[in-house]
This record gives sequence, structure tokens and C-alpha cells, in this order.
Amino acid sequence: MSCHSSVTHLHVSPVGQAERVPVHLLPCEIEHNGPAQVSQYFTATMKDHKGVKAVSFRGRGLKGQEICCPAGYTGLVLKDTNKPGSDQEDRIVRVSSVFDKLTYWNLDNPPTSDDTVVMAMDWPELAEAIHEPIDE
Amino acid sequence: MDLGPFEADNTVSCRLSSQIPDICRTEDCCLGIDEAGRGPVLGPMVYGICFCPVSKKQELKDLKVADSKTLTEEERERLFHNLDEAKSYVGWALHVLSPNTISTSMLQRTKYNLNALSHDTAIGLIQYALDSGVQLKEIYVDTVGPAEKYEEKLSQRFPGIEVTVRPKADSLFPVVSAASICAKVARDRVVKGWKFAEDLGDVDADYGSGYPNDPKTKAWLLKYLDPVFGYPQFVRFSWSTAQTLLDSKAVTVHWDDDEEDGEKAAKRLNNKSMLSFFSASAGSDDQSRQTHRFFTDRRLRGLSSL
Repeated sequence: MSCHSSVTHLHVSPVGQAERVPVHLLPCEIEHNGPAQVSQYFTATMKDHKGVKAVSFRGRGLKGQEICCPAGYTGLVLKDTNKPGSDQEDRIVRVSSVFDKLTYWNLDNPPTSDDTVVMAMDWPELAEAIHEPIDE
Repeated sequence: MDLGPFEADNTVSCRLSSQIPDICRTEDCCLGIDEAGRGPVLGPMVYGICFCPVSKKQELKDLKVADSKTLTEEERERLFHNLDEAKSYVGWALHVLSPNTISTSMLQRTKYNLNALSHDTAIGLIQYALDSGVQLKEIYVDTVGPAEKYEEKLSQRFPGIEVTVRPKADSLFPVVSAASICAKVARDRVVKGWKFAEDLGDVDADYGSGYPNDPKTKAWLLKYLDPVFGYPQFVRFSWSTAQTLLDSKAVTVHWDDDEEDGEKAAKRLNNKSMLSFFSASAGSDDQSRQTHRFFTDRRLRGLSSL
């Protein structure tokens, strides 16, 4: 938080060499931070029918599709290099991998252009337009 | 019985059927319906229909078909072979409901319970027989639920056909016994030869009967529990046995349609997760300005910390 006296350092220098990874955005919150057997359980059972992907997670049916990061943007997966022991210590966050597309999943419903994550990708273009210097 | 079409993709449901005997298209027929594998926490549930001309009822009885539950696996296989030999007048069809179909149906946002799923499957199979030209006049159904309501539902759905729904119909009517044998043989074969869609290497196939109270099934469910993904699709996630094990041994997963009291949910959402950045209600930032609808619609928020 901004009121803390600690500083978060974000090391983005390895972006160029970072591994490109497949990323999935699930419509649920998993109380787990760490490795998981994604390729064995999830990727292995994924189906693709005319661009709409299907899979199940914990017995619930998901439908999904791939979306690209907005042009000129790269997705970053960040990791803490050292877990700060207290709020006072500085935090160092490093890029562990990068992605330029991701697969997002809806519970039961097939993906549509009204899905929030799809619409959210409108923002960078709009932001650029409204923040551009005005030519005299 | 060729299980190939189901085994090619055991994550979805599949219909398997015999040839329709010519005589069934010209003579009045009776049809029996039964299911196999309703109770187990593992593997598919199989719905079966069997049909033959009313005039051949005695011949069917002479094949000595009986309730599949009173028979050993070898006896069932032998009787299925006998039914297959009688294919000039006996036909059958099966609907294999994969465990993944059962899980995802029962755990849909708008829950689709097992009874409704069973009834719809039975109706689908009867319709298949009618569409294939079988001259149906009598239908016999085994049921675990209330018989009268189900009988009324089927009678209304198929006017002109005499419908009899009875508990234990599989021991009362040979044509239902025959259906139960077809269903049980298919279920046993599918469970025995289950190919895991997951990439799990050699999976221990000693999973017992699949019934929750079978010690082998219990041991298997403990052995193959993954803390994040839970189970392979072979397991019915919607069964309380599986749910209870996951609740105690796997990491917690929250869905937006969970029944969770407001205070608990609010407390949880203050712990920022990846998803909270897409969530409209999350966070406790003092918002002195009204956020434009453009951002709330897209669940976009300014980010001031990681």
C-alpha cells in the first residue's frame, strides 16, 4: 500500500529473455500460490471446437477462448524474489515469465465479446487517444 | 458391443446401439428401460433400453435373463451374448453418461439433478427407438424414485403407449432384465478399460466397485487426490464422497455462485488475488471520485500496489 514505508522494486530487465508461457484465467479463486499440475490435468483434457475451448475444473464445465494482449503490450508474470519479513522491508519483484495471449474461461457460458476481460482490452487504445499531446 | 465411439472421447456422453431387427419395425413391440451405475462415485452411468416384439416375450423369457444385480459378471456377459444371438428379434440401445457429464451437469449454475438427467436420458432413448421405426406399444421402466409421477410424465410424453413404471421392474419384466444386463455389461467394460484423459502415466486400476463404501474405492480416492485439480474426470465431483474429501484435503476454490455469507466473502476479497483486479466490488480503496462506467463495466481499477 502507498502508506507503507517500504518500497517495491520491480525488475523488468529480463523481459527480453523471459520464457513465454501459456496463461489461463479461471472464473474462480483458488487458494493456492505455487506450482500445479496444469499440463497433466488441465491442458491434457482441453477440447477445442471451432475456436471455443472446453474443459472442466473441479467438476465444473468451463468454456473459453484465447485473447491477445493489446498491441504493443506484453503480459508479465511477476514473482517475489524474497518474501519480505515485515512491512518495513523493501520488496523485490522480478519478471518470471511473459505472455502475449491468454486463455480466459467462463463458468458454463461460451465466451462473448461482452465478457469483461475482452472489453478491458479496449482501454489501452482509448488511454493512448485521450493522453496524446494535442497538436496546435 | 462396440464401445469404441465412447472410448474415443470418454469426457462426453455417447449412444451405442444394436441393429434394429426388421420384425420390430412391423410388429407391436415392448421395451424395457434400466440403468447401471447410479450409485458409484467413479465412472459413467449407463442407461439401457431393450426391445422385442410383444409376440416374442416368451422367447425372451426363455433366454433366462434376470435382474443384472443378482448375476455374476460372467453370467451377465454370457446372457448378453445370448441376447446378441437373438438379434433377429431383440434390439438394444445404450446411453453412456460420462462421469464428466454427470459432474458438470449437476454442478451447473442452474443445477441439473440426477433424477432430471435420468428421466431426460430415458426419454431420449425411447425417442431414438421410435425414430428408428420400432412399433412401440408397451414400455416397462425400473425406477428408484417415485413411480407414479414418472409413469405419468412418460405417458404424457408418449401418448398411445402403455407405460408401466415399477420399482424392481428389472426382476419383474424380462425385457427390463435384458435392458439391465446390456447397461451393466457396458458399464463394467467401460470402467475396466477406462482410459484417463489426464496425463497421469500408469494409473492404479484397483479402484474396486466404485461405490463410496468400498474400501478399495476409498483408498483410490485418497491416493489420486490432487490438491489443486482434485480428481481426474473419472470421478464424479458432484458426489458428496468426493466433495467431502476435497473439502478436507484439497485447496479451497471459490466460485462467484458459491453460497457464502457476505461477511466471510468480503473478508476474503480484501486479500488481493489476481482475480480481484477484474472484480468490481473488491478492495477497500477510498474512492473520492466516482469511477466512470467505462471502467466499472470492464472491472478495471487503478493499481497502487502489487
